[in-house]
Amino acid sequence: MTPKTILIVDDSRVSRMMARQYIVSLHADWQVEEAGTGEEALERVRSIAPDLVLMDVNMPGMGGIAAAEQMRAQLPAVPISLLTANVQTATRERATQLGIGFMEKPITEARIAQLIAPLEA
Amino acid sequence: MFNLSELENDALVEIFNIGVGQAASSMSAIVNEPVRMSVPSISFMNRAEAGRLLAGREATQERICGVSQHYEGAFRTEAILMFPEDKSLEIVRLMVGEAVPLKELTEMEQEAMCEIGNIILNSCVGTLANIFQRELQGSLPRYHIGTSDEILTASGSQADTVLLLHIDFVLEKHQIHGYVAFILDMSALHDLKEQINLYIARAMGQA
Repeated sequence: MTPKTILIVDDSRVSRMMARQYIVSLHADWQVEEAGTGEEALERVRSIAPDLVLMDVNMPGMGGIAAAEQMRAQLPAVPISLLTANVQTATRERATQLGIGFMEKPITEARIAQLIAPLEA
Repeated sequence: MFNLSELENDALVEIFNIGVGQAASSMSAIVNEPVRMSVPSISFMNRAEAGRLLAGREATQERICGVSQHYEGAFRTEAILMFPEDKSLEIVRLMVGEAVPLKELTEMEQEAMCEIGNIILNSCVGTLANIFQRELQGSLPRYHIGTSDEILTASGSQADTVLLLHIDFVLEKHQIHGYVAFILDMSALHDLKEQINLYIARAMGQA
């Protein structure tokens, strides 16, 4: 399997660290990139080509929904999934409207495994 | 004076019970152990009394760490998660596991507590929003250290009458006690009451 690149967008360092730890424990050769805000993520995808973007919602600045919307327009083929504590139906519906995935926090190994499973096919 | 009928009060407790159940489930997933939560308790009082009530639950005026978030939308509320200060590192350790060195863990303690608060409070508030079929927008989490009355009065006048809805919880294996509190001021209470009545009407098939 070709190693993949995953971009984690989350203002919480500990959440990025946990997501990274679980991804690397499942695939030591995969590359994990990080961004702390939506703006930074949009900047990063100009120079990297992620195979999957995991996006928090409640962040300083533009927030994850707006960032995902812009990223979807920039990179229509790249899978994006919200990974958020915001479990509201309205947020899930917005994800569906944007054609992106939704996974609730807390971040666990099982949830990360589920998110990256399509890349393993 | 603001009043809730018996039915409204019952519905309010039931709705928060469901939210608290979700929060307990999230907290349990974070710390990998069972979490027991109490039935929500509702009181009307001023902020200073609310702080004293929570402080009085402890043997001493111990210092606690709190994470608060402000929500707006269907109704306005401040939600606060509080733990004894001396347990916060232990909780962060339960979250991140043994892989992180203590020095690094200590450096990220506040940030990690904010994320834990963010997950637990949003789990509860998000469930309330779903029950009310409305949206609640949350602020970024804020970290506080102090006594519970200092934390409760940090964001409003001590004399303000508020509804204090609080829930005790226990991480059973590690014997860590904490609580979640929701504070609503009088204008927010009217919005909440309206949402409760819509919920009751839906429950009775009238909406």
